[in-house]
Amino acid sequence: MNVLMPQLGETVSEGTIAVWHIKVGDTVTKDDPLLDVETDKAAIEVPAPEAGVISAINVAEGDTVDVGVVLVVIDVEGEKSTAADTETANPAAAPAQVPTPVAALISSPASTLATGAVAKSGAMLSPAVRKLVSRHNLDVSAIAGTGKKGRVTRQDVLAIINGGTARTDAAPAQTAVTGRSTPVPVPTPIGSDARSLIPFDRIRKLTADHMVMSKATSPHVLQAVEVDYTGVDAVRKSHGPGWKADKGYSLTYLPFIAKAIVLGLREFPKINSSIVGEALQLHPLINLGIAVDLNFEGLVVPVVRDCANKSVGQIAEGIKALSIKARSKSLSPDDFAGGTYTISNSGPFGTLMTAPVINQPQVAIMSTDGIRKRPVVIESESGDSIAIRPVGILAQSFDHRAFDGAYSAAFMNRVRNILEQQDWASEL
Amino acid sequence: MAQLSYREAVAAAIAQEMRRDPNVLFLGEDVAVAGGVFKATVGLLEEFGPLRVRDTPISEQAILGAAMGAAMTGLKPIAEIMFSDFFAVCWDTVVNEIAKARYMSNGQHECPLVIRSANGGGARFGAQHSQSIENWAMAVPGIKVVAPSNAADVKGLLAASIQDPDPVLFFEQKSMYGTKCAVPEGDYVIPLGQANISREGSDVTVVALAAMVPKALKAAKILQEKHGVSCEVIDPRCLVPLDTKSILESVSKTGRLVTVEENPRLCGWGAEIASIVGEECFWNLDSPITRITTPHIPLASVDVLEDLMIPSVDRIVSVVSEMD
Repeated sequence: MNVLMPQLGETVSEGTIAVWHIKVGDTVTKDDPLLDVETDKAAIEVPAPEAGVISAINVAEGDTVDVGVVLVVIDVEGEKSTAADTETANPAAAPAQVPTPVAALISSPASTLATGAVAKSGAMLSPAVRKLVSRHNLDVSAIAGTGKKGRVTRQDVLAIINGGTARTDAAPAQTAVTGRSTPVPVPTPIGSDARSLIPFDRIRKLTADHMVMSKATSPHVLQAVEVDYTGVDAVRKSHGPGWKADKGYSLTYLPFIAKAIVLGLREFPKINSSIVGEALQLHPLINLGIAVDLNFEGLVVPVVRDCANKSVGQIAEGIKALSIKARSKSLSPDDFAGGTYTISNSGPFGTLMTAPVINQPQVAIMSTDGIRKRPVVIESESGDSIAIRPVGILAQSFDHRAFDGAYSAAFMNRVRNILEQQDWASEL
Repeated sequence: MAQLSYREAVAAAIAQEMRRDPNVLFLGEDVAVAGGVFKATVGLLEEFGPLRVRDTPISEQAILGAAMGAAMTGLKPIAEIMFSDFFAVCWDTVVNEIAKARYMSNGQHECPLVIRSANGGGARFGAQHSQSIENWAMAVPGIKVVAPSNAADVKGLLAASIQDPDPVLFFEQKSMYGTKCAVPEGDYVIPLGQANISREGSDVTVVALAAMVPKALKAAKILQEKHGVSCEVIDPRCLVPLDTKSILESVSKTGRLVTVEENPRLCGWGAEIASIVGEECFWNLDSPITRITTPHIPLASVDVLEDLMIPSVDRIVSVVSEMD
């Protein structure tokens, strides 16, 4: 018998052969997939209308042919296969044969395509059950319903899905999971292994919500500058040991960077602001939020207040006090309140650059990343040379609603110049 | 934590906010000298004096007109409408003026006021003094609608309502004034728009408000013990803003939704929640959404009839246990 290009929708006049599942000489049984056809609207599998042996394939994969064209010829037992069958298998002769085969094909794909959500007659399926059986390609008539009047409930389907994955090796034929031509693997339902599920604690939930809100609120732009920390390094070397002996902790790069940012913010007040409606609210104080990681168990951003006139040492003391409180979980709500600009410091982990997410309702946030020695070209009138310098990247995300890239870039440039040129010994 | 009654929590919240903010004042019929007809505002006149705690003539329009003027000129008034049924004579002020002041003045006028009212049935007060009208209020854009189910929520939500920069209608369920629970001492505020998951469960989500919450919790206990049905009881606490996230997450988990409301059947708040869940959660529903309501008739005052009309523990158990 001839199998024709089916009419796949009222306005479809042609189809493309996507893939052949059989070759000449194959024995097929009724409903075995023969080929996949693609139209501009759908992809559909064409099944064998009858059992038999494939005697001819007339169209190659990738070819597009009109509806009614003979695609493949099947020698059906009991049906005399004649040479004429094959010979008339050309587009011109085909229309005469359209009625019966096309009708057969149209009903066939329809049953093949049935999602399995079609219930046995009379049984009512809830939306949840329909979604599950469709997604997991189940034959709902094979599921025993435990609901009222034998209704198949969501629990019944979930039991099959969970049990089905466990039993596929042992008894694939007996499970209610019926394969389509291409078996759909049953995904492991979320939460099936409770041990590998880590519920969000409060701080994780709050952080998650805040991050989504911030990204949804502010169009983030990232700008980065490379900073030569030679000047800072010199002061850390000369004053660091005394500092540590005196205070009990190291003098890090962070307070210097914070001080440079504060000096920069004083010159670029729009960066120390919040958006209120359709206005920019400049903040009279510079309150630096310092992102503190709690041993990978969460992130908090306590605030060093009123930094505008604080020295590097005073900022260092402020940061140290907050991080001690943060790690002992003794920060009070006041410690979090009123931040106007935030610094996120991944530097200790040696990161190259981080694109931080703005701490709302602020409009910018700076990431300080790893500082390491690198070869740097030093230009001078007597000729260029290469020196070994401590270099790190400062990266700021800003809210493009608040100001533009040039303003932010000028600020970044200023911060870099301060870090590279300030007389840090007198700032300590 | 101290055990406070629902009525004591009202006074505690008002006192807390009046101490915090000198602009807060309180007015209504018999609220000052008498301490309220439900005795929910006893002691406020003594502490804050007649300038800030004022008895008014019997005119609901006058009370709300004065409150609105005060709110628009910088004060933070709390007005009491003795029975929520009397909102029917107040709607012009509430709906056309208070609810729209911020909107129609393009934000130039704020209207930060709270209207408290004794709402709901169960006290044998008859059809004109027992209605649950939170759904009327919910239908008006521009006002927030709060209906607490226990004394702790009364304190926290009333404080939040007073602090809110916009008008809030605060419905106290009058049959609950005597109920007690542990109430946090000191300043206590519950943000508006956060539902409370009163009981966790896995088979069916029961959304209940105000006096229906303790009934739903009792029913949930019986359903668990006698029918093996695990109910998750959600108390939205506020209808506006509505914590749809909590409700949708719960229904996505359980696949079933029952609302228990004191509103008469047509256009009760449960219908709105059913509509939201039907749209957002359809493919997770394993049973038709079911509403348990008061029938669409004026409430009876005679006890046996009133008890039949308002959703009861037995009715909740019966409906939920027979769900598909």
